[in-house]
Amino acid sequence: MRTVVFGFLGTQLDSAPPGPKRWERWRPTVDLCRQDDLVVDRLELLSDARHADLARQVEADLRSVSPETEVRHRAVDLDDPWDFEEVYAALHDLARTLSLDPDEERLLVHITTGTHVAQICLFLLTESRHLPGRLLQTSPPKRADGRPGRYSIIDLDLSRYDRLAARFEDEHRESTAFLKAGIETRSAAFNRTMDRLERIATRSRAPILLTGPTGAGKSALARRIYELRRSRRLVDGPLVEVNCATLRGEQAMPALFGHTKGAFTGATTARAGLLKSADRGVLFLDEIAELGADEQAMLLRAIEERRFLPVGADREVESEFQLLAGTNRDLGAAVRDGRFREDLLARLDLWTFDLPALRDRREDLAPNLEYELRRVAEESGRRITMNREARDAFLRFAADPTATWDRNFRDLNAAVTRMATLATSGRIGSGEVDEEILRLRASWRSGVRPAGDDDGEARLRDALGDDRVEALDRFDRVQLADVLHVCAESATLSEAGRTLFAASRARRRSRNDADRLRKYLARFGLSFEAVSSRPAGRPAD
Amino acid sequence: MVNDADPITIDGSRGEGGGQVLRSALALSAVTGRPFRITRIRAGRRKSGLLRQHLTAVRAAAVACGATVEGATPGSGELSFEPGPPVRVEDRFSVGTAGSACLVFQTVLPILLVAPGRSRVVFEGGTHNPAAPTFEFLARAFLPIVRRMGAKVDATLERPGFFPAGGGRFVVEVAGGEPLRPLELETRGKVVGRRACVRVANLPDHVGERELRVLRSKLGWRDEEIGIERCDALGPGNVVSIEVEAERVAEVVTSFGALGVKAEVVSRRAVDGVRRYLAADAPVGEHLADQLLLPLALSRGGRFRTVAVTPHCSTNAAVIERFLPVAISFGDGGDGAVAVEVAPR
Repeated sequence: MRTVVFGFLGTQLDSAPPGPKRWERWRPTVDLCRQDDLVVDRLELLSDARHADLARQVEADLRSVSPETEVRHRAVDLDDPWDFEEVYAALHDLARTLSLDPDEERLLVHITTGTHVAQICLFLLTESRHLPGRLLQTSPPKRADGRPGRYSIIDLDLSRYDRLAARFEDEHRESTAFLKAGIETRSAAFNRTMDRLERIATRSRAPILLTGPTGAGKSALARRIYELRRSRRLVDGPLVEVNCATLRGEQAMPALFGHTKGAFTGATTARAGLLKSADRGVLFLDEIAELGADEQAMLLRAIEERRFLPVGADREVESEFQLLAGTNRDLGAAVRDGRFREDLLARLDLWTFDLPALRDRREDLAPNLEYELRRVAEESGRRITMNREARDAFLRFAADPTATWDRNFRDLNAAVTRMATLATSGRIGSGEVDEEILRLRASWRSGVRPAGDDDGEARLRDALGDDRVEALDRFDRVQLADVLHVCAESATLSEAGRTLFAASRARRRSRNDADRLRKYLARFGLSFEAVSSRPAGRPAD
Repeated sequence: MVNDADPITIDGSRGEGGGQVLRSALALSAVTGRPFRITRIRAGRRKSGLLRQHLTAVRAAAVACGATVEGATPGSGELSFEPGPPVRVEDRFSVGTAGSACLVFQTVLPILLVAPGRSRVVFEGGTHNPAAPTFEFLARAFLPIVRRMGAKVDATLERPGFFPAGGGRFVVEVAGGEPLRPLELETRGKVVGRRACVRVANLPDHVGERELRVLRSKLGWRDEEIGIERCDALGPGNVVSIEVEAERVAEVVTSFGALGVKAEVVSRRAVDGVRRYLAADAPVGEHLADQLLLPLALSRGGRFRTVAVTPHCSTNAAVIERFLPVAISFGDGGDGAVAVEVAPR
């Protein structure tokens, strides 16, 4: 392996009064070729025409102290060696003309000579691999006794340093533990996934897709990824979370991409939109499979170009957001069915992390139970304990194959919340556990939620599908259930509107009940035709 | 029975543990045709492994016998050397970092002596290095004895090379293939010549003059026996060497000028060295003893008396015994001297 050194002639450091005295001085370029354990086979010496004499002197001295070294003079004529742009451009040009045989030659970039600006440029070019080598630094001897001082080779690949590697490994372990919410998970597959996710989340700004069934913990994980990036200063904007299932119909575009004032009826003020709100931050699009075709097209452009057109606007806006997406659907299948854009999927699934269902991670039940107990205790401000017998009984049931954990961590979370609430003085015993086991089994058998179940809930699920209902606030859920009930009973949009807004009507406060209802339904991506059980009637104006 | 084609394995950290083990092994391997592999080269040193001066020695030895070499890179801790037959050489070997060219010469000389035909080799680098024989030592003390053993060899200094600038140069001519005769060197004989010389290059005049003054007052020799030589070297340099030529042997004692060492001290050290040599009864100085072992082993015998056995010397003996069927013994030589004997085994 031949060694090639690329570096500036030091117009200060390499110069010395003519005569033998120069040998008493430390001269970085000469002395780097006087190291007894480093043979410089070729020296690419950068200098300008004004210092030609010095360059020749250095070359002549190298002939005697380093006969192995071939000196190649490289002319760099800089108007201002302190001008970053000029120096960088000149070095960039030179780097391109530097021919190296990667199998036979190794490159060392000498950064001790030249201006600080040159040093910075050399560093940057080495770091970006335009100069495919390592940095070489030389330092003077302790006493000026004619000895050549020392050199050190700095590899910018930090993983090559054992002590630094150990440091990074600690940091990596901490971050991975953070992603797992401090839960000592035992599932090897899950731990591997988290391990890899940590590396990607802290190194790449590319989109990350989180897949897995409802309740597997996608949203919580997305939040922790955001927190992790924020703690590493990889992001300084906010986390904007949105469930795409709630973005349907006309309001989806303005909600995502914003709109101008007066862009459409009801747009009384301009709105930035979620993508713009996530500028310099992280945008988490959960249930991304539910996004409509137009929104998908726009989102793709926003990801690729970092710009998009708000509704009603004639100028694009820019937003630098990092994208996280979640889905419980098979996006590949959605692409085949024509429901999801292939090019968007290609953008999203660069890094895909699949969160397994709880039933596929039974070894993690115990640590997650502990975690849930701590969480409930924190939220309630009470001390919550579980006696050994109760804990064993619950874990035995939880690990049994008949326990299907249909809604995954949501089921576990709800079960612990219920047991803790029912337990007298915060001590969960066998009684609470037995009761909870029955409740969970019943819910899995019937396929419905164990609490708050009624006709309205069923109607909601019919109209929106399970996932989107899950995403609704209870506040909206009750209201929408009643609206759906009225719609089902009404022949026309206007009739339903009259029923729903009867009180305002009586006070003559409402003029266009049908329009108000239509907009309300549209917020959930619904239309009267879709939710009415009667033949469709024309909506009144 | 050991197969001659089997490589000899040498632990480079044993004994003196420096470059001498390697240099001796190179010469012996080339001369005997036995390949060798050396591991843990200079393992205990601050910069372990092969340094540039060693690499030049490896290259020179390889050229002189057409060897196949593996591991000859800076810092390498292992080297394997598979020699071919020694051949006459017309080449130039340069040592960077002003490292000692004399040590490179020492490595290849035994090979050139057995290679049939005339060789002419130019050595470049340092010619006057501390911790290495100087050119004067080689030319006045070492080579006369080798010549007496039957070798046809001449060395001419063209330009001295000092640390740090280097650039020294000497030419060596050898008529190889002459068998070496055993040597017996028990006594010095009468002193027939003396010479003290101050060599200065590119330094102020007072340095040499002060050294000269000390030599004159301390040695008490005749004026024509003490001189000063202003050399044409690339960089600064200064040595004081004192030579004592006896009937059967000569000794050259050298003291080096250095930054921070007073000129008077440089001369005094040389004077002390030569007094110690003259006070002792043994004819062979400690450095010469070390260097004579290999020629004696090649001639399959001989003995001499020396002032002391250095770790260098005993390490060298151990390496020689690995390659050649000789036994080297160190016994009491009387009057505080050590009797060194090289015998066939």
